[in-house]
Amino acid sequence: MTKVKVGDRLIGWSTNEEVRSNGGSGGLVTAVFAAALEKGLVDNVVVLEKANQFEAVPIITDSVEDVFNSAGSMHMLISNQTKYLQQFKNEASIALAVKPCDMRGIREQQKRNTIDSDKIFTVGLNCGGTMAPFKIREVVESVYEVDPDQVKGEEIEKGKLIIETFDGEHHSHSIDDLEVDDHGRRENCRYCTVKIATNSDLACGNWGVIGELSGRGTYVEVMTEKGAEFLQNAIDMKFAEVVEAPEKGTEIRGKVNGVMLKMAANTHKEVFKPIEGDKLEDLRKELENCIHCGACKEVCPVCACGVDAKCNKYYDPTDDYDISLYHLIRFLHLSDSCIGCGQCTDVCPADIPLTRLYRRFANPVQEELDYMPGMDDRTPPFFLTKLEELE
Amino acid sequence: MTAEIECEQNKRVSVSREGWTPKIVMFCCNWCSYAGADGAGVARLQQETNVRVIRVMCSSRVDAVHIYTAFLEGADGVLITGCHLGDCHYVNGNEKTLVKYKFIKSMLDEMGIEDERLQLQWISASEGQQYAAFVNEMTEKIRKLGPSPFRKPEVI
Repeated sequence: MTKVKVGDRLIGWSTNEEVRSNGGSGGLVTAVFAAALEKGLVDNVVVLEKANQFEAVPIITDSVEDVFNSAGSMHMLISNQTKYLQQFKNEASIALAVKPCDMRGIREQQKRNTIDSDKIFTVGLNCGGTMAPFKIREVVESVYEVDPDQVKGEEIEKGKLIIETFDGEHHSHSIDDLEVDDHGRRENCRYCTVKIATNSDLACGNWGVIGELSGRGTYVEVMTEKGAEFLQNAIDMKFAEVVEAPEKGTEIRGKVNGVMLKMAANTHKEVFKPIEGDKLEDLRKELENCIHCGACKEVCPVCACGVDAKCNKYYDPTDDYDISLYHLIRFLHLSDSCIGCGQCTDVCPADIPLTRLYRRFANPVQEELDYMPGMDDRTPPFFLTKLEELE
Repeated sequence: MTAEIECEQNKRVSVSREGWTPKIVMFCCNWCSYAGADGAGVARLQQETNVRVIRVMCSSRVDAVHIYTAFLEGADGVLITGCHLGDCHYVNGNEKTLVKYKFIKSMLDEMGIEDERLQLQWISASEGQQYAAFVNEMTEKIRKLGPSPFRKPEVI
């Protein structure tokens, strides 16, 4: 077979039969990581280790064995990995699998010079949305009427969340129905517009894998030179095999994406319908429970300010303003760069729907400038010198 | 009783218009607009007295923090003035102001703050006339709008 090049659309799988049947969709991602580690293309790989049936934690490893034993993809990994990467201060090269929003965070940090793009290799995974583990635990008990401790695993198929128990039974419910009571995917995922991680080095996923390969192969689109190099390496080292993706597969992948985006657009309309009445009063009400712990800034994958940030420095707890300067500054600074990953809502101890508020300010600006943070290498508009560069 | 107290705290009493005069914060750049303001004074042009002028070295020195603080502290309007495009003492300071202004404007709009409450105008050192006209026009507009929604009743 000819060399892998940028723009190739392939279907690949792991040559290790055990990995292929146990791993998610053919284990191609595992194979690419293992090969890269073996060859020394990267020093470390971030893999998921199952914490329990609902949750996985990302761990960093340099052993090929760990990579083969990783948990695979999960629908309940809600943390954004950008901030973890910052801790390594670009001292080691790291390969990791990312959701589209993780990658957008990494890209934004690369623009802000805190992550070195040469040291990071990413495999983007298709993502239709993630679910908060604690919520699914609740749902399993209340809607599925299953003891949460009896759950073996979860899977999403054809719009249904399937819960498998230890006794081998499958319980399924439509995600749409769950979401009516806010029990399904996280709110920001429901209106997220990036489902395929085309901003990463390799965009992988099971959408578009058809026929006999279904469930045993991964659709992969090579996005960058680096992606091509890593995939070629896995093939050369006999860790993975690839075939050309059939036209029909590509079509189906596009279709699935289209359906997802349509649903997202509908939710977007619903969530961001114009506020009736006093907008300022509405905002003040949303923020009135804020305890100014600063957690939303701490987890924000696009914030690169550190402790000496303007939002911290100019905010004073004794201010007694209607809306604190902390929020106003953050709303402004994120209006061009918010990627809508939902981390702030997740960590907020006062249950403020922060992502929705950040998006409320970001939507009009990003739409007007046709700027999607983290999807390309454009300078964040707020950093530009001239207005003409914006349009 | 508790309910009553809660109700009292959550209620935003709108500022009565009686005896209210607009308070406007105006940022003037040192090289053009501040000199323009000086010129307007020397020429004895009639101006409204609601404007508090703050001299900054360049209009790009005006940060969002300054603008928001002004509003939160009870200003009914904020005006920013600087040199004409291309005339900036610091080459392209006012271009940067424009970028910043666009974002702040969009944000204030999203918060339901009227367009007139934040305005940007280029006034050169010789344009005393324009300076006085701008001040009078904006004061009149803000007077019509009434007190800023950010303004608290106890702020005089």
